[in-house]
Amino acid sequence: MDFYYSLAQIIGFHTLLGLSAYIVLQTGQVTLAQAGFFAIGAYVAGMLTVLAGWHLVPAMIVAGLAAAIMACLVGFPALRVRGLMLVIATLAFGEAVRLFFFNFDYQIAKGDVKIGPLGGEGFRQIRWFPENGWTSFEIMLFVWAVVALVAGALWWIDRSRFGAVLRAVGEDELAAQSVGINLTAVKVTAMTIGGFIAGLGGSIYAHYTTHIEHANFNVLLATFAIAYPILGGLRSVFGTIVAVIFVQGFLVEGLRFMGDWRNLLFGALIVAAMNLRPHGLIDAATARRLARLFGREQRRA
Amino acid sequence: MRKTAVLLGSALVAAAGLAFPGMAAAEERAVIIKGFGAKSGVVRSFGINSEAAMRAAADLINSKGGVKLGDGATGKMEVEFLDDRCTAEEGISVVRRIASGPALVAIGPTCSNVAEPLFGVLQKKAGDASDSGLQFPIFTDVAVKGGLAKISEWAFRNVPSEAQMYNSLFEWVKQTRPELKTIYAGVEENFAHSRASWYAVMKEAAPKVGLEVKGEAKWLLEDTNFSQQVREIKAAAPDILAIAAHPFTTCGVLKEMRRQGVKVKMLIGLTSSSSLETLQGCAREAEGIIIPTSFAPVTPEAEAAAKQAARFDGSLDLHSAAAYENMFILKKVMEEQKVMAKPDTVQADREKIRKGLAGLKQTDGLLGTIKRTDDREAIKPYLYVHAKDGKWAVLHNPLTN
Repeated sequence: MDFYYSLAQIIGFHTLLGLSAYIVLQTGQVTLAQAGFFAIGAYVAGMLTVLAGWHLVPAMIVAGLAAAIMACLVGFPALRVRGLMLVIATLAFGEAVRLFFFNFDYQIAKGDVKIGPLGGEGFRQIRWFPENGWTSFEIMLFVWAVVALVAGALWWIDRSRFGAVLRAVGEDELAAQSVGINLTAVKVTAMTIGGFIAGLGGSIYAHYTTHIEHANFNVLLATFAIAYPILGGLRSVFGTIVAVIFVQGFLVEGLRFMGDWRNLLFGALIVAAMNLRPHGLIDAATARRLARLFGREQRRA
Repeated sequence: MRKTAVLLGSALVAAAGLAFPGMAAAEERAVIIKGFGAKSGVVRSFGINSEAAMRAAADLINSKGGVKLGDGATGKMEVEFLDDRCTAEEGISVVRRIASGPALVAIGPTCSNVAEPLFGVLQKKAGDASDSGLQFPIFTDVAVKGGLAKISEWAFRNVPSEAQMYNSLFEWVKQTRPELKTIYAGVEENFAHSRASWYAVMKEAAPKVGLEVKGEAKWLLEDTNFSQQVREIKAAAPDILAIAAHPFTTCGVLKEMRRQGVKVKMLIGLTSSSSLETLQGCAREAEGIIIPTSFAPVTPEAEAAAKQAARFDGSLDLHSAAAYENMFILKKVMEEQKVMAKPDTVQADREKIRKGLAGLKQTDGLLGTIKRTDDREAIKPYLYVHAKDGKWAVLHNPLTN
C-alpha cells in the first residue's frame, strides 16, 4: 500500500500546484510563474524545518506567505501586460527564481556536517516526516487535508461575489472595468492567492522528496501547473484534481508498465484527451451532470 | 457515448497498471531484483546498458544453477527495469512501487540527482524505530557523485571513487607530462555529477600537482550551442582542458572546438564519458581524450562480461559493468545470508541483504578486487583509457604498472 499512499501524496502536491494556477486562470491570465512560487515555498519550508527546527505546519504557512508576498510583488508589474507578454514576463520570473536558487548558498554547521541549500548541489536531508515517525498513510492524510482545505476555499470563492468578479475579469476585462471593477486589484489578489497555494504545494514537495535543487523547478513544472486546470476545465476546482489524477496517476504511473512506449503515449494521450474533451475533463455539461447527481440542482429548484 | 467508452477503456488500462505494480514478479521462489534508472532523455543510454548488464548477469547466474537459497532450494534471478526519467519525483515513486512488491533489492539509479533524494527517503539508521523512512536495500551502479551512500544505511554503492581516480591521474600527468602547467575546465553546470566532479574533485586535485587552474566555461546538459564557451576556452589558452560533462555535451563542445580551430595539449574527460556514446557521437574530435575509468575489457572476466552484455544489446562501461558486478555480489550475499525468497520472508530477506552488504569488506570485480568502505562505498580498481582510432584503448594501467 505504501506505493499508493506515495502516489496519492504526489497527486496531492501537484493538485496544489494546479490549483495555484487555476485561480489566476480565472482572471484570464496565463502565468508561468507558479514553478517559481513553488520553489520559494519548497526552499523556505525546508530551511525552516531543517535549519531552524520548526514544526512543518508553521513552516508551511510561512513558506506560503513568502511565496504570496513574492507573487504580490511580481503581480503588480507583470499584470500590467497581457496575453503572450504576460507569459514571457512570468516565464522570466520563474527562471530568475530558479537561477537564484542555483546560486543560493546558506549552510550552517550541525554537529560535524553542514546542512542547508548549496547552490547547484541542492538542499538535502529535508527529512521532517521520517524523522518524526510519520507513516506514508499519515503523510497522505495530511497532504490531502491541505488539498481539501485549499480546494474547499477555492470552491467557496467560485461561488462567492469575489469569484464572480474573477470570472467577470476573465470573460471581458473592458466590461468588468466599465462596471467599476479594479482590474489590477483583482488580478494581483488572484496572483497572491495563487502564490500562497503554490508555496504550500512546494513546501510539501520538498518534504516528500527530501532533497531539492534548482532543476526541479523548471519550465516543464510551470507548464504542468497551467496544463492541469486547462486540461481539467476551468468550470470547477474538481477539474484540476481530475486532470492531476489523469496525468500523474494514469499517464506517469499507470502506464509505467509500458516501458519506453509510455513516453510516446504521454503526449498523444494528452492531445487525445483535449480533443475528446475540448472544454476540459470536467466541462460545464459534466459539472451540471455531477451537480444533478448530487442533488444540488433539485435543491436549488 | 463513444468518447465515454474510450475514456473508460483508458482508465481501465491505467487501473490495471496501478493495481499490479509487481505483476511480472509474483512467481514463488523467484529471486526478484529490480533495476531502475534513466531510459529516456539524454542519458537514456545509461539505463539501457545497465538493464542489459543486469539481464546478462542474471542469465549467466541462472544458467550456472541460480542462487542457493537458505532452505537449500534454488532461486532463479528475475530482472525487471523501470524508467525513472532521471527525475527525483519519479525515482522515489519507482522505488516505492518496487518496495511494495516482492523484489528483494533494487539496483540503480542512473542520476545522482535521483540518488540523493531517494537515499533521503530511506531510513537513515537501520533499525531506528523512530525513523519511518523506507526500509529497502538499494545497490547503486551508476550515480557517482561523491559520498552519497552515507545518507542512509540502506544505501550501498559500487561506483568508483572519482577523487581517488583524478588525484592519481593528475599525479601521472605530472610525472609523464611535466611541461603542462595550466588547466581550464568545461562544466555541465546543471548536472550534479558533472559539477561535483569538477568543483569537488578535479579542481581540488589539479593544484596539488602544481597545475594552475585558469577557470571554467559553463553550459547546461540540454545545451546545443557552445560557441561562447569555446571562445572562453580559446581565450584562456590552457595546456589541459578538463571536460566535466556527459557524452552529449562533451561531443558538442569538442565539435565546436574543431570548428573554431581550438586545440589544447591534453584533453581530460569525465568518467561517465568513457562510453560508446562518446565515440559514436564524436570519435574524430574526441581522439586523444584521457579518462579514468573502472572498466575496460582488460581481464578475461571483463572480456567475457562485455560479450555477455552484448548478447543482451548493451555495452559495458564503468557504469553498466557495476550493474553486472552488483548482480554477482548480490548472489553471494544472498547465499551467505541464507535468503529464502518466499512471499512471507520478503522484508526479512531485505534486512538480510542489507546486513550482508554492510558486512562486506571486499568483493570480486571485473578488473580485480573491490574494497568496501565503512560508509558503504566502493574503492574500485581503475585505469586510464584514451580515445584512439575510434576506440577506447588502455593508456595506463596502475594495476600492472
